[in-house]
Amino acid sequence: MPIVEGTYGLLAEFDTPTQLVRAAENAYSAGYRRMDCYTPYPVEEAAEAIGFHKNEVSLVCLIGGLLGVAAMFGLETWISLWAYPLNIAGRPYYSWPAFVVPAYEWTILFAGLSAAFGMLALNGLPQVYHPLFNAANFRNGASTDKFFLCLEATDPKFEPAETRSFLETLAPLSVVEVEY
Amino acid sequence: MSHSHHTKTLPDQLAAPAFVAGWRSRALVIGAIFSAVAVVLGFLSGDGWSHFLRAWLLGLMITFGFSVGGMALLMVQYLSGGKWGLLVRRPLEAMSRTLPIPFLYFLPVAIFGVNFKKLYLWAQYPDAASAAKQHLITNEQAHAIIFKHGMLNPTTFWVTSLFCFAVWFLYSYLLNSWSLKRDADPAPNVPYWQTKFENISGFGVVVYAILLTACAILWVMSLDPTWYSTVYGLQFLVGQGYGVLALVILTLIGLSNAEPIKTIFRVTEQHDLGKLCFAFTMLNMYLAFASFLIIWSGNSPEEIPWYLDRIRGNWGVIATLDVIFHWLIPFSLLLSRDLKRIKSRLVVVCCIMIFARCWDMWWLIEPNFADARRNLHFSVGMLEYLAVPTALIAFWMAYYFTQLTKRPLVATNDPHLAEILEPEHAHA
Repeated sequence: MPIVEGTYGLLAEFDTPTQLVRAAENAYSAGYRRMDCYTPYPVEEAAEAIGFHKNEVSLVCLIGGLLGVAAMFGLETWISLWAYPLNIAGRPYYSWPAFVVPAYEWTILFAGLSAAFGMLALNGLPQVYHPLFNAANFRNGASTDKFFLCLEATDPKFEPAETRSFLETLAPLSVVEVEY
Repeated sequence: MSHSHHTKTLPDQLAAPAFVAGWRSRALVIGAIFSAVAVVLGFLSGDGWSHFLRAWLLGLMITFGFSVGGMALLMVQYLSGGKWGLLVRRPLEAMSRTLPIPFLYFLPVAIFGVNFKKLYLWAQYPDAASAAKQHLITNEQAHAIIFKHGMLNPTTFWVTSLFCFAVWFLYSYLLNSWSLKRDADPAPNVPYWQTKFENISGFGVVVYAILLTACAILWVMSLDPTWYSTVYGLQFLVGQGYGVLALVILTLIGLSNAEPIKTIFRVTEQHDLGKLCFAFTMLNMYLAFASFLIIWSGNSPEEIPWYLDRIRGNWGVIATLDVIFHWLIPFSLLLSRDLKRIKSRLVVVCCIMIFARCWDMWWLIEPNFADARRNLHFSVGMLEYLAVPTALIAFWMAYYFTQLTKRPLVATNDPHLAEILEPEHAHA
């Protein structure tokens, strides 16, 4: 992997989620697209403000669940009808009520695992290095009581001086330049 | 971006908007039309008003579920807390104040069903042994009627039912009058009121569960004296929660066209209520299927006929549709996050859920009777299941809307009020 150098982005720090969301909305309407919000707890409106409306985790979860129910129900049907048919209390081989509980369990299992691993796969975690941790205020605040907006240098609209003055109009506590 | 970044202010006018009166007159018109239809069908069916009374029982169970179930959910939200609780508090109080209506509906069931012996087999043949000898009832039925005589007799039926209503009237009175006192309290003694409501509700939820089990057994389960199931009361309990949640969401969405609900009904809480609906959909199916699976596995001649009565002779179609209406459709639709956040779509799901309650109740009630068990067939009387419950539910709704207009729609002496007026992203 090539070593990247230079500026990762400009990091603005806010005291409240409301200020963060307002800043993110302003940045989005000013034309910035490559940016991200960092908050100590989920703030759904922040995701919305930067144009992130949907993620695919729910779809992955749904597909996982459907695969789970199909796999277990199929397995039970195959065992009971073809592989090892047993006469249990004279019931028909295809006794679907008895198949429902394991099939349900597998639905939940597959859906849960798909959601967890799908989430990791789609959000790029685990990540061993992130440039933002070079900023001291981020290290201290992002997981406690501060709300951050980072405009990234890869954005075509990014100009160090201009972007900094733009961010300062949003009344942040601080604006820090973050290195890779 | 549409949402506001500023704390909203509570409107001055907290009373129900004027269009609620329009809902009420519409409900009254529907009630009147379907009552007329029900009476005409009663004369046409030529079954001695038997189906009329069965359908009346269905209407009783649904409206009783809204009243008493609404009161139960009211107590649950006092216990659980949460911003959704503040939103639904006044509609649920209005539901709990409609208790006189199910009580009126109960009287014909008790008078004609028990005293005039029109509904219940155990009331019809108190001398079960000789009835069995004359082959009017089966030996199993006779045995069950004799064995359960201590519970299944007119005196116990009346005393137990009246006792249950008395307790619920008391609870409805206390919960409602304290709530007004709490709002009028000049010194906002929030912890005092919270404790007071928690204490009455904690006990009240337990009492509700026990009394509801008694009512469900006496009013519906005893239609088939041979049947017993320990999960029966719980199924009614969850069914009531299911129906009440659907109705309360419909109420809030209807009221959200105007102040004051427009201001305080945020998407976050709408989403929360949708999630609760989803949980109840799942729990409802879980109980129903668990009880079916256990009895199916046991395959015991004492238990299995109850299900066979409701599966054979084309009743299986009704049972399958019951699963589809009750679980498959609401479950699949409520999986979607967007659906729970879009009012117009959530309304559709809630309507399906209330319809499914009625469908399920039909499947529970009708196959208890000798002419219908294992034999689903059309008769004019069957149409009563459409007419009578619609009329009863419509009249109940009219009374419910009247109660909604009686009080401010927002309870004010509650710290959740400040939170609910904040912008949505202030709290995760």
